[in-house]
Amino acid sequence: MSAAPLLEIEGLAKSYGAVRAVDGVSLHVDHGEICGLIGPNGSGKSTFFDCATGLSQPDSGKVRLDGLEITGWSLDRIAREGRMLRSFQKTVVFSALDVEENLVIAGQMFAFPNVASTFGIGAAARTRVESLRIQARELIAAAGLWEVRHMPAGNLSGGQQKLIQFASMLMPKPRLILLDEPMAGINPKLIERVMDSIRYANRELGVSFLVIEHNIDVVTSLCARIVVLDQGRKLAEGTPEEIVVDQAVREAYLGG
Amino acid sequence: MSTVARNGRDLRLPFVAVLAALAASLPWLLGSYELHAVIVALTFLLPAYGLNLLVGYTGLLSLAQAAFFGIGAYVTALLAIHFQTPFIVNLLASGLIAGLIAFPLGVPALRLRATSFVMCTLGFVIIGQAIAKNWISVTRGDMGLESIPRPSFPLGPFSFTVSTTTGFYYLSLVIAAVATLAVWLIVRSPAGRNMVAIRENETLAESLGVPAWRYKIIVFMIGAAFGGLGGALHAHYLTVVTPLTFQMQYSTTMLVIVLGGGPGTISGVIFGSFLFVGLSEALRVAPELRMIAYGLCLLAIVFRFPRGFAPLIDRAWRWIGGER
Amino acid sequence: MFWTLVEQVLNGIVSGSVYAIVAVGMTMIFGVLRAINFAHGEYYMLGAFGAWVAVEYIDLPYPAAVVIGILVTALIALAVGWLIMQRIVGATAETGVLATLGVALVLQNAVIFIFGGSYKYFNGGYIEPVTIFGFMLAEQRVLIIIVCVLVFLALEAMVKLTWAGKAMRAVSQNPLCCEVVGIDVGKVVLQTFALGACLAALSGALTAPVNVTVYGGMGEIITFKTLPIIIMGGLGNVRGTFFAAMILGVAESLVATYIGLQYRDTVGFATLMLVLMWRPHGLFSTRARF
Repeated sequence: MSAAPLLEIEGLAKSYGAVRAVDGVSLHVDHGEICGLIGPNGSGKSTFFDCATGLSQPDSGKVRLDGLEITGWSLDRIAREGRMLRSFQKTVVFSALDVEENLVIAGQMFAFPNVASTFGIGAAARTRVESLRIQARELIAAAGLWEVRHMPAGNLSGGQQKLIQFASMLMPKPRLILLDEPMAGINPKLIERVMDSIRYANRELGVSFLVIEHNIDVVTSLCARIVVLDQGRKLAEGTPEEIVVDQAVREAYLGG
Repeated sequence: MSTVARNGRDLRLPFVAVLAALAASLPWLLGSYELHAVIVALTFLLPAYGLNLLVGYTGLLSLAQAAFFGIGAYVTALLAIHFQTPFIVNLLASGLIAGLIAFPLGVPALRLRATSFVMCTLGFVIIGQAIAKNWISVTRGDMGLESIPRPSFPLGPFSFTVSTTTGFYYLSLVIAAVATLAVWLIVRSPAGRNMVAIRENETLAESLGVPAWRYKIIVFMIGAAFGGLGGALHAHYLTVVTPLTFQMQYSTTMLVIVLGGGPGTISGVIFGSFLFVGLSEALRVAPELRMIAYGLCLLAIVFRFPRGFAPLIDRAWRWIGGER
Repeated sequence: MFWTLVEQVLNGIVSGSVYAIVAVGMTMIFGVLRAINFAHGEYYMLGAFGAWVAVEYIDLPYPAAVVIGILVTALIALAVGWLIMQRIVGATAETGVLATLGVALVLQNAVIFIFGGSYKYFNGGYIEPVTIFGFMLAEQRVLIIIVCVLVFLALEAMVKLTWAGKAMRAVSQNPLCCEVVGIDVGKVVLQTFALGACLAALSGALTAPVNVTVYGGMGEIITFKTLPIIIMGGLGNVRGTFFAAMILGVAESLVATYIGLQYRDTVGFATLMLVLMWRPHGLFSTRARF
């Protein structure tokens, strides 16, 4: 394991017009860690995520992944070359495609070395897709979605879609996954299942996580370290125990 | 249980077998005018395939197809007239050049959002027509290029020239079959799956590592190449090309074929090109009535049949077979 | 030399005015519908044809013919708006493109089917030349410029002062909120669409004497002229559209004189494509609607 943290973000800033959505936030995620990111609505969590993952470009600041500077890379390049994936709050699955295809698509750009090779029609390409399919079926079975694997993903419940999304992100064998409110809008029974999946991926597959989540019970039980954002700045950082008693954090959530 | 059709699955073996048998025996079943209509339908099938890759699989609405159709026609005409190159060379060169020209056009155009992109692709057709009209030293302007030779195949002792309507029918049939195979291979490949992912949700696809922009430009070039092939075939069939080969009406026709037939399917586009080009040509409908019918079809597609008319046929087919 | 230039600029302003009256309707429709109206030029054609029918078959004087042209177009536009345009609200960009392309095909070819595709002589209007600042200009051309200025002043006043105008502006900014505060979005869309179509018809009826002929395909050409204008003008931006129309009118006139008449009809799209490469969102802001 290298000395540098897996993800290291320094002084990230992004403004929309006069609004400073993110105002110089630094944050790191260590190898093998599950790190939480919380903050009131409008505190800049989502903008921070977007800038870190290449969906939008930060005005200033640096993003390093395992020592390699990836600032300015596009969303797809960070996913493909950095094996750092992210989820979205609203867009979750390719609704018109069946569950299995969803997972195969997620794995494709990692099984094929470049765009040209994806047009391949020979036996080599077919073997690669076949092994992706086998891997997809294992993940589908593990997520308890075997019965619905040929259903259009859009026909399934919100919770099931979140499970599909999570399984999709495991297809590329990622190093780091950034989850944007994984528990939003799913029923309490499924919350337990999603948490188990995250823990399993972390322990058995060695995936590190950075999790935005509003459900404070989930965050405190999953994460060893929590970062709190407020009005675009880092307000606090510490263990769950420290954060829940932190006076500044309480004020940010309750008043002000 | 509702299942999802995967790419290319619509082209089932019985369908292909019936189609092939029918296609081979068509010259005995039809009169020469009807055969002419079928040839036109086969010619339009090629650019429609290209457009289907764009709009049906990748989700990019383009009106540029007539521009590449025109480029292919002119490339073929110029090669055949000035260099007496054989048909197969003209055909391949037209596809290649149309595809290559699509690159510098696509790079700026594909950065634009939906509406501006559509407008830009329309601009390609209009500017293409203006060039064909005004670059008189090469294109002879409005007079067009005439007496393009019939397709010839210089194969030593087996050389032959396709000069009859029946002969041209079989030639277009072979080309259409090869094109169908090519499209089938593309949409069944992993790239085809990525194209559909981009159509369904570009940002989600990108977040899973799919370089959407690179796929779009490649598909735009492939689509243009199919347009060029169609133009080449068209030029050899009519033996003349004029600036009117670049016309908006052609782009609209191709769009109606794809959307009316069934975007994102191969059989749908085949069906569409026979229904909207072949059938209307064979029925000798007055051009303005045909255009009114196209317009009404577009409206029906938008508001009633967003997946084209092909699913209706599919349902009728199953109903005949006794399925519910 | 210099005087030719001034004369051509003046001619350009006349055609710019013609385009502006058509384009402003199109851009307002885009504002409320978020859809490009590919059929917009057809209302220009309908206006001109309505006036031609009134002059030719009913023997009405020109001003009455203009009114007939606008009324006929308004009726057709209301039908199209009620049957089709209202359904485009909130749909994808593709839906708008395809539906309006469909409408364009139906309207244009219906007119060709009824009246034939040939050029028809338009006998009416004020074609006597007048002299202004030493320039000879047909009265009709002067009229077009005046009407264009009046139309834009009236639109600005309408949007600022009347309830209907404010509702149009509101819908173009946020249709969802309008539903919440009780503005009938469907009705506003229908009104805006009918108004835009009538403006196009007015432009068609006014231009017919200058063009001397009317024919079924004339609308398509106008659509192709106005499409680049509204994109360059910043979709939905009324003032931007006015300036873009004038720029295109003058540019066309200069190209026709100094480069070659045959390049005139390409100026719009060529300029558009250059502009889009430089500024993908048009010359003028799309935020400053109305």
